[in-house]
Amino acid sequence: MTRRTHTDDPLDPMIAAELAELERALAGDMSLPAVDPVLAGLVREVRAEAPRLDDTFRASLDARVEAGFPRGGAASWLARVLPSGALFRPAIAVAATALLGLAVTTAVLTSGDDRPVSGLAVESREDGSAGSATAVAPDTALTAPQAAEAAPDASAPSRGAAPVPGTDQLDAGPAAKAVVPPAAPDPGRLGGARRVERSAEMTLSTSPDEVQAVADDVVRTVQGLGGVVASSRVATVDGGGEAYFDLRLPTARLDRAIAQLSKLAHVSALAQGSDDITGAFVSATDRLKDARDERAALLKALGRATTDRQVASLRARIADSRRRIARAEAELRQLRVRTDRATVALTIRGDGASRGGSDEDEGGTWTPGDALRDALRVLEVAAGVAVIAVAALVPLAFLALLALLATRAARRRGRERALDAA
Amino acid sequence: MALPHTNTAQVAFDALYRSTVSDVFAYVMSVVRDRGAAEDVTAAVFERAYRKRSGYDARRGSERAWVFGIARNAALDELRRRARTAALVVEPDDPSAAGAFEEADTADRRATVRAALAGLDPRDRELIALKFHAGLSNVEIAALLGISEANAGTRIHRAITKLRETCS
Repeated sequence: MTRRTHTDDPLDPMIAAELAELERALAGDMSLPAVDPVLAGLVREVRAEAPRLDDTFRASLDARVEAGFPRGGAASWLARVLPSGALFRPAIAVAATALLGLAVTTAVLTSGDDRPVSGLAVESREDGSAGSATAVAPDTALTAPQAAEAAPDASAPSRGAAPVPGTDQLDAGPAAKAVVPPAAPDPGRLGGARRVERSAEMTLSTSPDEVQAVADDVVRTVQGLGGVVASSRVATVDGGGEAYFDLRLPTARLDRAIAQLSKLAHVSALAQGSDDITGAFVSATDRLKDARDERAALLKALGRATTDRQVASLRARIADSRRRIARAEAELRQLRVRTDRATVALTIRGDGASRGGSDEDEGGTWTPGDALRDALRVLEVAAGVAVIAVAALVPLAFLALLALLATRAARRRGRERALDAA
Repeated sequence: MALPHTNTAQVAFDALYRSTVSDVFAYVMSVVRDRGAAEDVTAAVFERAYRKRSGYDARRGSERAWVFGIARNAALDELRRRARTAALVVEPDDPSAAGAFEEADTADRRATVRAALAGLDPRDRELIALKFHAGLSNVEIAALLGISEANAGTRIHRAITKLRETCS
């Protein structure tokens, strides 16, 4: 097989001169310097030996050329239907890319159903006897029924240890990211009397002219549930307004309260937290019991005291014990208040749509801002799909290129071998 | 009036075909050495050129060199195909084709040249065909074979020398 070289080594001068003479002989140039008559004769004789076309074949080929090489049968039909040559390969490549992109998109979308919603912020803490969790929904677009379902009755057993029913519906919403607080640690030796402190932060959005009305409804709702407004501040100005409420609600009615408050306006944010303070509660109870037992023992000892000095000492210790009892009882009362009353920080913002909600899904108007957000979201998804598709296609394209180059090289080698063997 | 684009292309291809068809056949015949196969290959060459004429790039060489590139690939593919199916049968020369009315001396001389050509190495015979029948320049032959111009010149010179030695 011929070795292929691409070097630009200069041609030997003698060879170059003879080749130049050959070129002149081929061109029929017999001027000076004179062409070797032998070479001129050789050129003439080799050319005379050139195979000649058969007239019949030439006529047939002329006719085909004039007709533009018409195809026949199925090949003709395919040629008309399919683009040919250089156009056909890009079309196949585009079609393959589109199919791959579609497959990747489908895979991404179907696998995304089982994933947790992005943007979720969960904080949990466990220290053996107590735990806390916070679930944050930065832009929870919950409808009132969804919020109601997400907030079951607070009297449900083991509330802190089991997920709240309706969580799936929360996640199914377009922007819902509310999460039920995770389970607190098993009280174990505490006899199952769990003490959980609950809290919530909620932001309602309504139209600027409805802030006051919504605030009034909040107060009525809280009072109807047996809660109190610990503090409030309502500020309304032209074109806007805002109201803040610090609410205390019976813990057993917290979920029902959230459900009812959610009906008052569009819920733009909702965060719930729970803190298991069973350990602290039991510790306070134990300290109170110990203090009471100590006082009882001291009282008995006081009855048996025989000297003034013993009586005075015991009275001092009894007084000290009484103070400790008072402190333990106060601590216990405070813990009971924390577990019996949930804290709700409620904000009403007058920057949204009317009470009907702002999303099209909720029956409100679809604003240009919504359209812009949707468009951006579509672009984000499209860009993500494009990146994934490119990531998948680049190696495939590289392999295809290697295969193409290998095929061409093999074909070229095969042709050269065929010439050598001829 | 200017011809429509398609007609212009057709006319241009027709001119290319008429200026090269004989030389393409001579070259293909020199490579495959079978008249029937050479006719088939020649027809395939021009059909392929016709279908791919939109892909011709003038920056990569002349139209003539482009057609001979197609012819070379088609001729070598024919050799490969025949190598897979059967041993190559070289068509015997037809003495009557040499010209019954030629002078005896001329006829002898041409018979000598014909025999010398037949005895050349296939690669040398291909070079002679590309140079004498196709009329390609050394640069075009180098591009066609994928070698340097100097290498092409050396090979052509070697083939001519062999031919001259055999004929002398």
